Amino acid sequence: MSRFQLFGKDEPADLQRQFYVATIIILAIFFGLVSRFWYLQIAKATYFKRLSENNRIRVLDISPARGIIYDRQGVMLVNSRTSFNLYVIPDDVQNWDLLKVQLCKMLHMDQEDIEQRLAQKKDGSIHPIPIKLDITQDELGLIESFKYLMPGVYIEVSPQRNYPLGLVAPHVIGYQGEITQKQLKSGQYPENRMGDFIGQWGLEKEWQTELGGKKGGRFLEVDALGQEIQLLSVKESIAGNNLETTLDWNIQKVAQNALEGKRGAVVVLKPTSGEILAMCSSPAFDPSSFTRKLSAKQWNALLSDPHKPFQNRAIQGQYPPGSTYKMITALAGLEEKVINPETVFYCNGSFPFGNRVFHCWKKGGHGAVALHKAIVQSCDVYFYNVGKRLGVDRLARYAQLFGLGQPTGITLDTEKSGLIPTSLWKLKRYKSPWGAGETLSLAIGQGYNLTTPLQMALVTATIANGGSLFQPFLVKRLVSPQGDVIKEFQPRRINQVSLNPEHLQFVRDAMAGVVNEPGGTGGAARLLGLVAAGKTGTAQVVTLGKRGGRDHAWFVAFAPLESPQLAIAVVVEHGGHGGQVAAPIVRQIFETYFHLPPRGTEATSTQTRAETPVEENNLD
Amino acid sequence: MIDRRFIQNFYWSLFFLVLILIAIGVVNLYSATVQAEGGKGTPLYQKQIYWACLGFFFLLIILFFDYHLLLPAAYPLYWISIVLLICVLLFGRKISGSQRWLTIGFFSFQPSELVKISLILALAKYFVNNELNHRYGFRHLYLPFGMALLPALLIIKQPDLGTALILLLVCISAFFFLGISWKTLFVSSGGMALILPLFWFFLKDYQQKRILIFFQPESDPLGAGYHILQSKIAVGSGAFWGKGFLKGTQGQLRFLPEQHTDFAFSVLAEEWGFVGSLALVTLFLTLILSALNIARQSKDRFGMVLAFGISVLFFWQILINMGMVVGVVPVVGVPLTFISYGGSSIISSLICVGLLLNIHMRRFIIQS
Repeated sequence: MSRFQLFGKDEPADLQRQFYVATIIILAIFFGLVSRFWYLQIAKATYFKRLSENNRIRVLDISPARGIIYDRQGVMLVNSRTSFNLYVIPDDVQNWDLLKVQLCKMLHMDQEDIEQRLAQKKDGSIHPIPIKLDITQDELGLIESFKYLMPGVYIEVSPQRNYPLGLVAPHVIGYQGEITQKQLKSGQYPENRMGDFIGQWGLEKEWQTELGGKKGGRFLEVDALGQEIQLLSVKESIAGNNLETTLDWNIQKVAQNALEGKRGAVVVLKPTSGEILAMCSSPAFDPSSFTRKLSAKQWNALLSDPHKPFQNRAIQGQYPPGSTYKMITALAGLEEKVINPETVFYCNGSFPFGNRVFHCWKKGGHGAVALHKAIVQSCDVYFYNVGKRLGVDRLARYAQLFGLGQPTGITLDTEKSGLIPTSLWKLKRYKSPWGAGETLSLAIGQGYNLTTPLQMALVTATIANGGSLFQPFLVKRLVSPQGDVIKEFQPRRINQVSLNPEHLQFVRDAMAGVVNEPGGTGGAARLLGLVAAGKTGTAQVVTLGKRGGRDHAWFVAFAPLESPQLAIAVVVEHGGHGGQVAAPIVRQIFETYFHLPPRGTEATSTQTRAETPVEENNLD
Repeated sequence: MIDRRFIQNFYWSLFFLVLILIAIGVVNLYSATVQAEGGKGTPLYQKQIYWACLGFFFLLIILFFDYHLLLPAAYPLYWISIVLLICVLLFGRKISGSQRWLTIGFFSFQPSELVKISLILALAKYFVNNELNHRYGFRHLYLPFGMALLPALLIIKQPDLGTALILLLVCISAFFFLGISWKTLFVSSGGMALILPLFWFFLKDYQQKRILIFFQPESDPLGAGYHILQSKIAVGSGAFWGKGFLKGTQGQLRFLPEQHTDFAFSVLAEEWGFVGSLALVTLFLTLILSALNIARQSKDRFGMVLAFGISVLFFWQILINMGMVVGVVPVVGVPLTFISYGGSSIISSLICVGLLLNIHMRRFIIQS
């Protein structure tokens, strides 16, 4: 047996020798371990002893800067300001009763609120408990002056949302609110703790992980009063990413102003991509009111408001589309060859069907009507005829091609899908067969039909762009705080509606007629120097089988007629007639977008009245 | 089967050493948990005594049978443990994020503890079958390495990095002990040195970060770094004489993570100081060297490899756990043999001691 291992390649290991080697290695390593004990327990003993007394190590969060939300031109819609939050670290508190009284006085809080906040406290815990978030400057001054008398009180600085432009599409952008107990327990927010603000709605919620960034922390040694003695280590926070939305503040502003004082919604999008330039719902809520904790009373007041300010009517409001649906009826009729552009029906103002009589909005009737005129003047009798020839299921198929009756897939919470009835649906829902008369109501957009403004804007865009149904989207780019583009979102075509291009062109021309021809119902949207196309609609308000209140006014439009750049849908609840109330809003948006000289408001209103016949759908 | 010579050759000092270690563990467990439990249910230290009794029962049974009976059973036992590990992944019980326990009837255990023993048995059998007149090369080592790698991968999946690491370390230690050819040693360490950076290069950013934090917990003061600092404070503040039994503030105020399992030693070090730590380390050193001595004295290769495997198993477990508590080894979650709470761990350790005593008792009997 060779003693020289290096050269004794093929000799088996000398095991007796290996035992000595193993023993020496083990002894050496244990010696190292004992030296480590010596280092910690003797050399550094005083240092660690000091740290262990009352455990003076605190871990305090460093809140990351939250991402900024921009519009498409780089206008800052939402940014952040500094807010000061008051926390209590139970382990540092010396006299709870005194502290509670002090806090009540200084923060103008009820004893009850404070007790509630402190309900989860554990004595000796070093985890901060939030008492009051976003305290005012006055309160901060007071607390800072007397902090030395209030051990355990600790002020945390965190970013809070700021709205430099005032109200900007609150339904789209959403709001931030304190994380709820339920959310904490769900495990979806492992980084967060009580008192943190997270996106609770809208883009703020959908993009919480991106906007929110990553928390950092400070690891420090404190004295018996909880005052910092030494910083042990720091983990920097990582700022959230910024969102570049597709919104256009200029358009959004016009839409918001136009809806001021009304109830309704406006959706403006690019027909060639599905980018949403404006989405507005009225009445709105003020997102800045959530930066301070709302009391239960304030919450209930907001939630029980009969005008439902929280509802995003653009995606959650479901309205019968009214006459704006006639484009679909017309296209279905043309495609199914039950009519052609020359088909003429005679309108004497009413249409008897079975034992019922369906009326046209124009009592005297339109006389002999071909398809173009039927759309321009919104003749109901014409479309009763088309509907009768089509039947409910063929009509529904075309509506579905345009994306109606299903969510558009926009990434916002709780989008409603609307409803496009079929005979099967009725059989399931009401256990009764479809009545042929019901198809007539459907053909003019009444009855069971329900659509959201966003859906109707998409229908308009799809007609305008020649049949491409795009997925609507709100975020163009995700950008890092340093300005690097992290992700860019491309338009996504959901469906290519295969319709005869001539038919689409025909309908587009007719829609241009609605706005620009004498006798057209949408004259109020007429522009100087640009041809717009649109369609009015009036949706009946039926509650519990009875007609309730004034009708909802619709207007859908796109412009310019050739190579459309904008598609719009407007609903004004109980606004009456689409041509009167909704069309002027559309006109303002076009004028802003295309930089057109405004038509004098006064002149317009008289003109509108002269040109826009009163639409009325008298149905049983 | 038991004859007088066995009793004469019984390694009483090793047996008492283990008894003392378990007693220290129970007393320490009492201190670590008495504050927190508040008298609900059976206290953990008492449960630990039950587990230890069960473990001694197994130990006793093992003494009655010649360990050579395990030779034909080694491979079947190995495969049974592998099947159990797969069962854990399929229908194991989850406790705080990791799936390590298998429940049979009303009691659950960790197959990963069992596999430590069966791997050592399988390795011993392999090296008995493959006794060479030259050093081991690739040709002979890839199979035993695979034997360790398979359960290690299954255990990583649970996830329990610590146990997986220990299996590989035990296996590699055995290779070194039994002799690796220089060529194999250089080529495989060179290969590792080449592959690791490449592997690193293919990782995603966040994965790299996670590994960095793993090796440098101080860079994550809110997560792993917090526990390590608290543990270091506990150990360091114990100073020379310690704070006294039940007087450790770190442990009593529950700043320590897992203070009854993986961080049990920091409670001991805080309350008994440098003196206590040194004493415990000395006891452990005696345990390991005695085990190594048993390996050296054993009269056949199977007994030797088996005893050596158990010695290095103890060695790595103790080293990694203590190193973790004093902040020199990443936190991988390895219990401290005989000191940490845990039924599976104490039973498997006592089975190992049973094997050691068995090998020692029969060291003069020559296998025919």
